[in-house]
Amino acid sequence: MNKNVGIGFRKDFAEEFLSSDILDPAFVELAPENWMGIGGYWKKIIKQLSEKHSITSHGLSLSIGSPEPLDWDFLINVKAFIKEYDIQIYSEHLSFSKCDNAHLYDLLPIPFREDTIKHVANRIKEVQDFLEMKIAIENVSYYTPVAAEMSELEFINTIINEADCNLLLDVNNVFVNAFNHQYNAKEFIKGLPLDKVSYIHMAGHEQVEPDLIIDTHGEDIIPPVFDLFDYTTQRVQPVPVLLERDFNIPALHHMQSEINELEKIANNHWNKKHATSKRYISTAV
Amino acid sequence: MQLQKDTYRQQSDLAKYCRTNILDDTLKVRHDRVHHYRRLVYNVVNDSLISAYPLLNNLLSETEWASLVNDFFATHSCQSTQVWKMPGEFYNYIKSTDLSLKSDYPHLTDLIYFEWIEVEMFMMEDIEYPLFKTEGDWENDQIAVNPEHKILQLNFPVHFKNSKSITKEDKGEYFLLVYREKETGKVQFTDISAMYGLLIENIVNGLTLHEILLALKSTSKFENTDQVVAQIIPFFNALQKKGFLPGFI
Ligand SMILES: [Fe+2]
Repeated sequence: MNKNVGIGFRKDFAEEFLSSDILDPAFVELAPENWMGIGGYWKKIIKQLSEKHSITSHGLSLSIGSPEPLDWDFLINVKAFIKEYDIQIYSEHLSFSKCDNAHLYDLLPIPFREDTIKHVANRIKEVQDFLEMKIAIENVSYYTPVAAEMSELEFINTIINEADCNLLLDVNNVFVNAFNHQYNAKEFIKGLPLDKVSYIHMAGHEQVEPDLIIDTHGEDIIPPVFDLFDYTTQRVQPVPVLLERDFNIPALHHMQSEINELEKIANNHWNKKHATSKRYISTAV
Repeated sequence: MQLQKDTYRQQSDLAKYCRTNILDDTLKVRHDRVHHYRRLVYNVVNDSLISAYPLLNNLLSETEWASLVNDFFATHSCQSTQVWKMPGEFYNYIKSTDLSLKSDYPHLTDLIYFEWIEVEMFMMEDIEYPLFKTEGDWENDQIAVNPEHKILQLNFPVHFKNSKSITKEDKGEYFLLVYREKETGKVQFTDISAMYGLLIENIVNGLTLHEILLALKSTSKFENTDQVVAQIIPFFNALQKKGFLPGFI
């Protein structure tokens, strides 16, 4: 069986993960912000991790949708970090988490507008030029549109095309948004630039109101999201798939069984000659 | 910036709302749902502060804590891209802001400093050790010091007395040696006297114990240096075992 599915690396399970073979992911994903410029105990852990596993990176603080200029000092550190650990993939969220020179530490929705498209696409290009690699931009979940003047789909598509970047397709986020904003998830996925998908996220969520789901990453993946993954894998090339579990973390064998299920679906559709995850990672950028 | 004024305003107002919980009516969002953003953002900040400052959180009442966190997040623009560093900004905010809490809790700034140092030293980048040998003479050799250390001078005994029982009467001079163990990465705290603090500072500056005592003798701080040496050697031996004074240069 090919290995496609990685795990979001969390400090909560670092020790057990590294000292056992219970979890056997194709790769691990981490947020550079949590691991760069540190020493001591966690530095030893990330060194061990990088000796055992391929690492992909998924940023939190770039804030590609901020009105203000990019934080170049931060990008210099990110570039050094991904070089230090031989990381081939860097992705970020299509959102903003900093405004008026203040970080907010969470992902806020960007207004779906012409001017933000130009602004964000330019910033993505600047980041790609600086990092000397294509980056993948993730469709985020959102609970209210902000001053929207077009559809989410048009917004995402135009940015990905104008910036000439890759798309990190978060299948759970599509499900969450389709539920929250009452559209058809499969139609939405069909409308995305699927040839640009270089990476997939899968996660669980929590329904907090009759008509609202919050993207918590704190529950198991539910069957309709597995179905949507099945639908997606039939339409995109083989790419790394990540299981995100950030809260309410279950036993490692439980997460491995979710990984196995994702692997099974991926392998049903993706050509088995596409070798190992290492190869996916190097071809995805 | 290629953004139209209104687009910028919308983003700015949403961010402001998340920071202050004050919603501008002109913000074009679903007003039945936008509160989730304030909740989510506030929770990240609050949770990070609780995990960095468990003693402070335990000392303050729920209302005091919430109003402190609210004021901090609403008025201070967080600069750190790394969320673990944000509590360091909280420490600086408290240190430099006039707060009525400080008269209720005179040891507030010391307590938060003490808690922040632990986080900072646990996380900080590795510092290279000097080359050293394990055998040597405490009195006449230059002593190697674990470079990952700090000597804290505090006005209140936040390191050994329950914060809830500390009062103005506890005010004094307290010294604390803080260092990170090389093997485990754990941050260790050792209560030291002012004299030991001075000694360690001079050792860090490269003086031998003999040289330090000679200088102190000339200022007539210590008459009987033999007695001092007799006290210090066991202390140094203990610090060697703990890895703070790993050996001799
Ligand atoms: Fe995601």
